[in-house]
Amino acid sequence: MTLAEPLPTGGFSFDNVARNAMLAARGAKPPKATSTGTTIVGVIFKDGVVLGADTRATAGPIVADKNCEKIHYLAPNMYCCGAGTAADTEFTTALISSKLELHSLQTGRQSRVVTAMTMLKQMLFRYQGHIGAALVLGGYDVNGPQLYTIAPHGSTDKLPFVTMGSGSLAAMAVFEAKWRANMTRDEAVAIVNDAIEAGIFNDLGSGSNVDVCVITKDNVEYLRNYNRPNERGVKEQSYRFPRGTTTVMSRKVINFVDVIEGDAMDVTA
Amino acid sequence: MPLDLSFLDLKPAAARFMPASVLAPLDGPLEHDAIATFDLAPVSNPTEFIHNQMSKDAEHRIHMAKGTTTLAFKFAKGVVVAVDSRATMGPYIGSSNVKKVIEINPFLLGTMAGSAADCQYWERVLGTRARLYELRNKERISVAAASKLLCNMVYGYKGMGLSMGTMVTGWDKKGPGLYYVDSDGQRLTNHLFSVGSGSTYAYGVLDAGYDYDLSVADAIDLARRSIFHATYRDAYSGGSVNVYHVKEGGWEFISKTDVFDLHYEYQDQPRPALV
Amino acid sequence: MEAFASTAPVRVPLEHRFSPYTDNGGTTLAVAGSDFCVIAADTRQSEGYNINTRYSPKLYPLSNGSVLAIGGMQADASTLAKRVEQRLEWYQFKHDKPMNTQAVAHMVSTMLYGKRFFPYFAWVTIGGMDENGNGCVFSFDPVGTIEKHLWQCSGSSSKLIQPFLDSQMGHKHELLPPGELTAQRATLLVKDGFTSATERDIYTGDFLEIYTITRDGRTRELIELKRD
Repeated sequence: MTLAEPLPTGGFSFDNVARNAMLAARGAKPPKATSTGTTIVGVIFKDGVVLGADTRATAGPIVADKNCEKIHYLAPNMYCCGAGTAADTEFTTALISSKLELHSLQTGRQSRVVTAMTMLKQMLFRYQGHIGAALVLGGYDVNGPQLYTIAPHGSTDKLPFVTMGSGSLAAMAVFEAKWRANMTRDEAVAIVNDAIEAGIFNDLGSGSNVDVCVITKDNVEYLRNYNRPNERGVKEQSYRFPRGTTTVMSRKVINFVDVIEGDAMDVTA
Repeated sequence: MPLDLSFLDLKPAAARFMPASVLAPLDGPLEHDAIATFDLAPVSNPTEFIHNQMSKDAEHRIHMAKGTTTLAFKFAKGVVVAVDSRATMGPYIGSSNVKKVIEINPFLLGTMAGSAADCQYWERVLGTRARLYELRNKERISVAAASKLLCNMVYGYKGMGLSMGTMVTGWDKKGPGLYYVDSDGQRLTNHLFSVGSGSTYAYGVLDAGYDYDLSVADAIDLARRSIFHATYRDAYSGGSVNVYHVKEGGWEFISKTDVFDLHYEYQDQPRPALV
Repeated sequence: MEAFASTAPVRVPLEHRFSPYTDNGGTTLAVAGSDFCVIAADTRQSEGYNINTRYSPKLYPLSNGSVLAIGGMQADASTLAKRVEQRLEWYQFKHDKPMNTQAVAHMVSTMLYGKRFFPYFAWVTIGGMDENGNGCVFSFDPVGTIEKHLWQCSGSSSKLIQPFLDSQMGHKHELLPPGELTAQRATLLVKDGFTSATERDIYTGDFLEIYTITRDGRTRELIELKRD
């Protein structure tokens, strides 16, 4: 008789922790996760909140993805920008997104931004910073537009304008210079764009394009690649290899059909 | 009473403890056989410093070109020397065209294994020493003496992190000479040596085919095959095979063959029967 | 009982590890042809995720007509370039002629090895014309290993550009032999190499500086690269 497979319990598996600690002690190098050197920002304006992000994903000094998405969906009225370990930001926001959806169905109400913020910080705190997610959370609910940052250890801030990631200083410099209370939508989008551009050009971990997300009462505009300031120039020449470049080591022809010579098909118009 | 000038006879090891200004600095004019000095890190233990900089976990690690197969053997018609041409820096092939046979002078060859810079520099110094020997003694330096000079020079820096495994070959009054010298200070002579990460593979082929009475053509072919088979199995060896033949009138460069071409050349030939 | 034993905490002098090196990123590249030499480098100078300056040349045109390209740590690079130029000046005064490229290369090799136990954090390439009017390129590791090349790329994008040059200039991946390399084609390949590397290497960008050396002298070109 075979034992029934126990049902998967979900969540993280810690099966290899002891083994990996032993390997690390013996000098083995653990694989490195893709870390997104990033610029992510958010700003509250008169009618809502604007989130912004660059689109570069790096693996050490190499650009792994020139146009990745860092503004993640949380709920119909909420989006969340992620910086830090790419996998952690994606899975954390996806998990909370799923919980919010269930919560919303359970209560029959639209999710509140504080709820999402609390769920995120409680999860991150529980893992004591080992989940490397630094988040900018923005949304609009019954209490109006709200904006939070959540650091990897679980601490949060509630502010009218925020930046995170390796380009946060460059972006914050723009906000400190240009931010005003009660901006219009277009003004808010413009300074978010400028802040992200500051990160793109001055922080090596950030680059490529600007993604923007405008969240207002009952409406979301996800402006993917709102600005593309880094189009690749035209190459000097073509690098198509001519036929015969690859050495033919051997040749074998298998006839699967017999081709019978017949009258040519009439192809005149 | 003659002046005591013995303090001028500095051994290289002494350079460690002397301020650089006392000795002729390398980037100033070098007079004859004055001993060059090396800048040291301004810390209490410079040796530890250089070891740290080159260690695996150094933040800004200084990688040096390494990884090699070299061989040389004496036979009735002289010495055959063969080497690969790959330089690796970690997993990266830094170069496929390294000259691992260093032409010290028309009668002396040195091979390169370990740190390329150490081999190149010290064998160049050996070249100047050998030339000075000729001028002073009106005859060429013996291979034994040349290899001993090299050995003594690098021994003075023992523990400082030099990395060199070289074979010095040439032809002198006693005929063909072949010495192995390394940065630990070891110096050996024998009929046959192979040095480097691919040496075990090379020895396999070399020992199977070696005979003192080999013809020149067969000896060259054996040397080339040995290096080829080492490049085939050792990831840190590759590129081309350079072959030299040392004979009475000095050394002769025989060939440089890409191992890619050798692969297809050997592919169609009959394999030796298994014993 | 030990007479001098004390339970008071002992203050041991603490020596912090001496770490004089930093990598300022960037890429250098040189190509030798039959009657020309093209030597190029980006001009970004960075540390970590910060750009220190967008224009810090890694190419040092020498008084003898050659060009020195140095990557690695900018402080060591500029010091080394200064010392090389001074040696060239001494040589000129002593011999009343400029030093030839090959001699410069061997001099640089011994200068680098002179700091074998406290190396310059520098990857050096020299491009110029030899005595026969042919282009020549020499490259060095930080401790002075010297090697002559037809093309050589080093620095943060070396692993991206070198295989590209091996393919396009050396036809290493195919049996058809490469055609004669002209200065024009070499320059096109250099530009495409750098614009492509800029796409994928965060440490390469801002400007591309190119020196073309021929029998008639040296010309300089500055091209914009992406700044992100």
